Amino acid sequence: MRRTAMQRNVADFGMDTISLAGPLEAKLAAVKEAGFGQIMLAARDIVGHPEGIEAAVHAVRSSGLRVTGFQVLRDFEGLSGHLHSYKVDIAKQMILMARDLGAPVLLACSSTSSHATADADAIARDLRKLALLALPHGIRVAFEGLSWGRHINEVHQAWAAVEQADCPNLGLAIDSYHQFATSTPLSALEDVDPEKIYLVQLSDFMWQETRTVQERIDTARHFRVFPGEGVHSQALAELVRTLDGMGYQGDYSFEVFNDDYQQLPLPYVAQRAWNSALWLAEGVLQRAVPLPGHPRIKTLA
Amino acid sequence: MSTPMMAAREALGELPNPLGLQGVEFIEYATSRPQALGQALERMGFQPVARHRSREVLLYRQGDMNIIVNAHQDTERTGLHAPPTLTETPVLAAIAFRVGNAAAAYRRVLELGAWAVHTEVEVMELNIPAIHGVGTSRIYFVDRWKEFSIYDVDFVPIPTVNPRPPALQGLHLFGVVQYIGLGRGADWIHFYSELFGFAELAPDQSFGVLTHGRILASPCGTLHWQLIEPLVDALDADPEELLQRVAFGTPDVLATVNALRARGVEFVESPTGVHTGTRGALTRADAGSPSFELVLDAR
Repeated sequence: MRRTAMQRNVADFGMDTISLAGPLEAKLAAVKEAGFGQIMLAARDIVGHPEGIEAAVHAVRSSGLRVTGFQVLRDFEGLSGHLHSYKVDIAKQMILMARDLGAPVLLACSSTSSHATADADAIARDLRKLALLALPHGIRVAFEGLSWGRHINEVHQAWAAVEQADCPNLGLAIDSYHQFATSTPLSALEDVDPEKIYLVQLSDFMWQETRTVQERIDTARHFRVFPGEGVHSQALAELVRTLDGMGYQGDYSFEVFNDDYQQLPLPYVAQRAWNSALWLAEGVLQRAVPLPGHPRIKTLA
Repeated sequence: MSTPMMAAREALGELPNPLGLQGVEFIEYATSRPQALGQALERMGFQPVARHRSREVLLYRQGDMNIIVNAHQDTERTGLHAPPTLTETPVLAAIAFRVGNAAAAYRRVLELGAWAVHTEVEVMELNIPAIHGVGTSRIYFVDRWKEFSIYDVDFVPIPTVNPRPPALQGLHLFGVVQYIGLGRGADWIHFYSELFGFAELAPDQSFGVLTHGRILASPCGTLHWQLIEPLVDALDADPEELLQRVAFGTPDVLATVNALRARGVEFVESPTGVHTGTRGALTRADAGSPSFELVLDAR
């Protein structure tokens, strides 16, 4: 049974393995220990496991954590000929891994390739095919507009492609980083059906603007911080409140690529993430608590 | 006067039929106890008519229905393309659609996002194109069903038996029942409509005595596909998705039930639940035999 917005709590927020260094088992343990109930997995965690994919799947399934989703399929839509066939093979492998992990959602992000067409019909046809490939395996495809995407780089463009493709298991992934990087207003979400938002990824960053595409890419890959730790806390809170007000009831995952976090003890990083989750769950969505990094008298953990 | 079949056709009108679908060529069960299933099929009016040239596979037939009982355990293929391990309880393993052009149909559905089954055929055997369906099941495409049949190539007739045994009580294939996960109705409706041109029937249309679920009709109008979600109080049960059973149409359910009872078929007779009626009936499953459904359908 779905909770009402008022009952929403910290369980809707999860960490992402890409924020953490070390082996998969250590990541899973740190995330669980911090208090989270779910985790967003990356293919690298699974295929990079020293004992193989089956051991990785076993580690995830015995971790006690729910899998938020699986990432990331890149550059699928808009290609043709042998490039398209190649990407279909890649997509099938990603789908099989997601299925084995019990991941309900596969994240696919918009093409950056200069070989990708801008033809909306071709893009919709490819997304429709991707969704159908995932369908028998019970996996939903969440399509995200990367802020440096070749033709689709804002959330309303990604939504238009999802709408045109029109499949029951194809929806939208919203990433706060990309929305802020392109200064896309919240009004871009006006037409989005909240039932078709399959995943929301949250992160903050430390500077106001990313002026060039290269700056967007560098910031996205190295300098993201947890929600509330950067300079976009207000905008991030507004985004979460907007989604909540629209009726979005799905998961929020912290998509935080950060070179510093990649070389710090896992419990420390996971605790920072947990503070962000508390801020969002209690502060942004319900009642005021201090921003992460500021002293709390007592945590719920 | 109207029958469920006519009602279905009239409500549907002309549907686009992208693959030139013309019903079902065969249905395949996989089991490690082929004799038990064979006996159950014979009680239902099927006769064994041919044997596979190289594998432990038998062809049963009545009227225009072909059922293949596959007891060949393929151990050579592994991974995604490995067939499932045979079990004592028969599994509805495959359905073969009759199409206008099998190669073209196969290419079309792969282009739309179906998963190819990589079949490995023996020398001089037919390579029948197939895609993965729900669970471990497959969907085959067959276009040689008019001039000559696929069985002429891969099967050897069983001597002294009538190769074309007539249908008992006008039995014919009516449809297939598929179990689906919770909230998966829209997904599977999309699957069958996108790939094969099936269309969902109006919610008030139902057939037989098990009316739960959503029903699709094939564009050729001869096949019904019923999708059944778990009951709300059974949510913790096995969420596996699979082809559950086959439904046979008959113009007179009660007469057919009587005829089948005389042959030793048992039916589910629950005072409060499923029981035999003029609209339909359900045979009792046991360890070696699946259940079959009867549905009132004149055809």
